[in-house]
Amino acid sequence: MVTKSVVSVSVAASITITSSKLVINPAHRFLCLKRLSSFNSFSASSLAIKWRGVSSCSSNKSATAMEGFTTRTRASAQPLENADELISSVETFIFDCDGVIWKGDKLIDGVPETLDMLRSKGKRLVFVTNNSTKSRKQYGKKFETLGLNVSEEEIFASSFAAAAYLKSIDFPKDKKVYVIGEDGILKELELAGFQYLGGPEDGGKKIELKPGFLMEHDEEVGAVVVGFDRYFNYYKVQYGTLCIRENPGCLFIATNRDAVTHLTDAQEWAGGGSMVGAICGSTQREPLVVGKPSTFMMDYLADKFGILKSQICMVGDRLDTDILFGQNGGCKTLLVLSGVTTLSMLQSPNNSIQPDFYTNKISDFLAPKAATKDIELRGDLSSLNGLDCVRIVHTIKSIVRAEQSRAVHKVVAASPRNLLSQPTMSSLATNDRCWKSAPSEIA
Amino acid sequence: MEGFTTTTTKASAQPLENADVLIASVETFIFDCDGVIWKGDKLIDGVPETLDMLRSKGKRLVFVTNNSTKSRKQYGKKFETLGLSVSEEEIFASSFAAAAYLKSINFPKDKKVYVIGEDGILKELELAGFQYLGGPEDGEKKIELKPGFLMEHDKDVGAVVVGFDRYFNYYKVQYGTLCIRENPGCLFIATNRDAVTHLTDAQEWAGGGSMVGAICGSTQREPHVVGKPSTFMMDYLAVKFGILKSQICMVGDRLDTDILFGQNGGCKTLLVLSGVTTLSMLQSPNNSIQPDFYTNKISDFLASKAATV
Repeated sequence: MVTKSVVSVSVAASITITSSKLVINPAHRFLCLKRLSSFNSFSASSLAIKWRGVSSCSSNKSATAMEGFTTRTRASAQPLENADELISSVETFIFDCDGVIWKGDKLIDGVPETLDMLRSKGKRLVFVTNNSTKSRKQYGKKFETLGLNVSEEEIFASSFAAAAYLKSIDFPKDKKVYVIGEDGILKELELAGFQYLGGPEDGGKKIELKPGFLMEHDEEVGAVVVGFDRYFNYYKVQYGTLCIRENPGCLFIATNRDAVTHLTDAQEWAGGGSMVGAICGSTQREPLVVGKPSTFMMDYLADKFGILKSQICMVGDRLDTDILFGQNGGCKTLLVLSGVTTLSMLQSPNNSIQPDFYTNKISDFLAPKAATKDIELRGDLSSLNGLDCVRIVHTIKSIVRAEQSRAVHKVVAASPRNLLSQPTMSSLATNDRCWKSAPSEIA
Repeated sequence: MEGFTTTTTKASAQPLENADVLIASVETFIFDCDGVIWKGDKLIDGVPETLDMLRSKGKRLVFVTNNSTKSRKQYGKKFETLGLSVSEEEIFASSFAAAAYLKSINFPKDKKVYVIGEDGILKELELAGFQYLGGPEDGEKKIELKPGFLMEHDKDVGAVVVGFDRYFNYYKVQYGTLCIRENPGCLFIATNRDAVTHLTDAQEWAGGGSMVGAICGSTQREPHVVGKPSTFMMDYLAVKFGILKSQICMVGDRLDTDILFGQNGGCKTLLVLSGVTTLSMLQSPNNSIQPDFYTNKISDFLASKAATV
């Protein structure tokens, strides 16, 4: 008997977090089509299994776009589906700033509410940035200007880290620090009681390479601190080089080595990594890095606040600084896609840094508990027999399993008098842990 | 240059005791300039007589320098000013090497070159018929990091050439970085990576290695190096003059550029101690680069059979 019923199974995923691709084993897909097509001589074209992934944040991908069949060989980052669970599992959140809290001078959507929510849950918030151009105090002002309630003591910029590092090694107060960097570093050194030379004013200095010309340098310089410097020039390169090469025991400290950074929200700008790279090139020495991904700042925090690393979640937008920082420090890691890293960069075969979780932006913390996926069965399925049901059920199960999602699936009947009243389907609903439906919903 | 090579450990350098034997065994001498011929702007003792003697013996002389601040023509003038009889065609500066390299890969004439470097590079690019941007005049440019500010860059830049640049600044770093990161297929070429160099005879000055290091830091890419110790210039010479590498002796004062250049090229190597390398540096356990011979200065060639070091 030839029937003309059309079975279309569509999945409407009401995920509010990411437009994660449904990872589906192609063999299953084709297998299920094959299976269905053998039912009572249905033609394959009349049995289309449509998958529709709908996300509220980025572009809606149509069902037929089932790309991205990946075979994962290592534990890869999971989309953040249960924010509440993550939040309750840690005591402290460390946030990177650029790309997480703000982008250039613009606040990212939903940040104030998210921070308030976390505070209301008793979480400690810490802000760690590799940007060394401002001091903690100056950052405090930036947070204030953006309407955020953050105190100076919660902020740890790499400018502060450089001064804290020198303190931690008892850098002698009679020695000087030559700074290739901006005001933030100078302010923090001053606060910590260290003498310094250089900084922005050396940006105006030029050298005359005349015969016999010798550039003098202060022999009391015991450390050269290098960070982002928009006033970078040859004078500074040469001065720093002379100190490192000629002053015995002179330290070479880098605030950070970020290749690029969002100095304005319009584009990426060459970062501290270029100033540091220049000094590496002329001294043939590697610096001691105090900013991310070095764990100096995390060790400092853990010590200062008396917290266990396992109780911390690091939230950042860069894999090679923020996430690596968290991993090196031994805490949980969450990548946000609101900064420089895109989903394809995270999932690229060239990338080996996998955070525990990823999500679009931190305001996703405000989203409801768990993502729910509705599996909707449409059409008049009443004419399908028990064996058909079994096959459909197997197909759906195997697709969902291959999806490796911890989302809760709800079987929804589009039309009341249908397949779902069949014993097979209802038993599926109640027995299989992939599914969760009240019996009333099935009937 | 740290890092011991995994090849067989070379026998250590021998003091040059029989200059005549060495001279007779090769057809071409390649001389580094800084620390071998001159120091800053001062000629090293005995150089003119030595060069004359070698020419009289029918030897070909070539001068290869990593200094990219001048063009070959400008170097020709420097030799002349110092009273040396050297023609432009015998001089190979890394500025020339950059242009020669672009020619050798048929770099398209409709593409542009962004230069972080000095006049020498610009002149050689012009001579070779390439369009360029940047150079010393960008040393005056500043950027205003205001909200929403976007730095534009020429999308036709197909190569960024980086060399020593006393006018180095953030504008150039950012411009070069944008070209390399955003223009598809953009090349990153370094004239040389010398850490320090004798820009004045008074002291060592941070060299091209710092400018190149800055761009490596912001692009996370390694450059194609055309100057020593890369063998590009030696291969170029060998082809141009039709000479066998085994018939060449490289004379220089730096182990990690000159001597390594000679070794990579497969020719004989002679270290002179009239430049940056001292005998203790050569003999230090941290040094793994051993030239075939070493001597005080090239005028030792004039001494009778045994030179005293």
